[in-house]
Amino acid sequence: MTAAQVLTGGLTKSFGKTTAISNLNLMLEGGLVAVLGPNGSGKTTLLRCLATILSPNDGWMRVDGLDPDHESDRTEIRRRLGYMPQEPGLSRSGRVFDVLDYFAVLKGFDQERQRRTAVFAALDEVGLRKRASDKVGELSGGMRRRLGLAQALLGSPSLLILDEPSANLDPDERLRLRQIIAARRLTTTAIISTHLTEEANGCETILVLTDGQLAFTGSPSALAAVADGRSWLQPAPPLEVRASWQQPDGRYRCLGSPPPGAILVPPTIEDGYLLLQEPAAVS
Amino acid sequence: MTTYDQPNQDRLRSNWQAITAELDTPAASVVERLLGRVGLSSGTVRLMAGTPALRRAWFAALATAIAVGLSASDSNDPRASLFAFFVVAPLVPLLGVSLAYGVRADPAHEITLATPMSGLRLVLLRSAVVLVVSATILGLASLLGPSPALMAGAWLLPALGLTALNLALMTMMVPHRASLTAAILWLGTLVIVNVSTTDKLAAFSPTAQLIAILLAVGSLTVVFTRRQAFDRLEATA
Repeated sequence: MTAAQVLTGGLTKSFGKTTAISNLNLMLEGGLVAVLGPNGSGKTTLLRCLATILSPNDGWMRVDGLDPDHESDRTEIRRRLGYMPQEPGLSRSGRVFDVLDYFAVLKGFDQERQRRTAVFAALDEVGLRKRASDKVGELSGGMRRRLGLAQALLGSPSLLILDEPSANLDPDERLRLRQIIAARRLTTTAIISTHLTEEANGCETILVLTDGQLAFTGSPSALAAVADGRSWLQPAPPLEVRASWQQPDGRYRCLGSPPPGAILVPPTIEDGYLLLQEPAAVS
Repeated sequence: MTTYDQPNQDRLRSNWQAITAELDTPAASVVERLLGRVGLSSGTVRLMAGTPALRRAWFAALATAIAVGLSASDSNDPRASLFAFFVVAPLVPLLGVSLAYGVRADPAHEITLATPMSGLRLVLLRSAVVLVVSATILGLASLLGPSPALMAGAWLLPALGLTALNLALMTMMVPHRASLTAAILWLGTLVIVNVSTTDKLAAFSPTAQLIAILLAVGSLTVVFTRRQAFDRLEATA
């Protein structure tokens, strides 16, 4: 199985007078892709369009050359897709196995034995096999999130779309989730929305969305390079900068146009990300 | 010690996975076992029994049907209670369908949409389940009423027509609004018929039954032509 290829051209989605994403041109194939952006920047709308559950108002998209506007193509794309929304909405009263088995039916596993094997393979992958008979409501928040991921992993999809998979998780669970997703990077195109720059750091490609527009596409190092020569330390609070914050040693880390004689520091992807945002959003 | 070549190792692994999966699978619920016994495939059983929204729809239909049945059992004014039953009975499956599909009804609706399962197939399956359950319960409830033989049948076709209309409207608007619109149209029609004739039960006459059939056929044609709406979030959110 090879990772899916996702192409979009001029992708635009509006809700009434509000444009959520505008004129997005993407070419993604293989590896982990992080979609970074502040709240309301259009991350979820983009992911829903890529997951074929929202139809764009303008522009086009293809997954492995398939057009989601055609019914048969859309079904084929969905066979290759694993999708986890921000709120998976899994039934808390259902048992772990039953919930996953239900999604396996929806994913086209018609034969009971084949379905059962696929369900347990997914449970194994997220480390929940021993909880198969437990009620979903008895699982911790992190485990429920892993169960949400398990339904997305059913059938080994070549395109994985995960909307804020690690939101509200403790560091251990975040790491575990990251490991599960990263293990798929060779066979899957995994598109993950996040607002954590540290998570994006482990991805091959980062997309930065600002007000529904694509502000950046590239590697983590390229995103950090956006802040090359624009990240410095100074002892006194800055007057006019794009963003600044005090460090534990009392000095201020500043982003923007450095004053003469400023001590430049190596930029991080967070620096690059912040510089791509509107000044009002980071001040 | 026996050694195996690669193909045999793969087969062995696959068999072992199937055995452990069989052993680890929790027992099916009573409802699932019952549904399985009537010849439904395991996948269909899972779709019917595993949907929380459907369970809510069943319970809502059950509760409403019992209430309708009890209210119809008033023997002081049999014709009035029969009319009340006829008015409300077709709304029971309508309520069930509105509780069985869409973002408001199904918290996992977004995931469901992103699967290859056709939205039309799913909504029809859930509607059929709701319709069958409602019809059975209302049929039993009608036995409590003053005129069982008539009551058992006269509301069925209007209910079918109304449910089909509801599905057609669901391709154009969100499910709860579609159900509300269908219910208003139904009640509005009854008011108009009642005002224009002296026969309280004119809306359930043979002519009205024929109109209900035509409504069902027309609505299902709309449902089929606009089926893609069930595959997208815009129409179901």
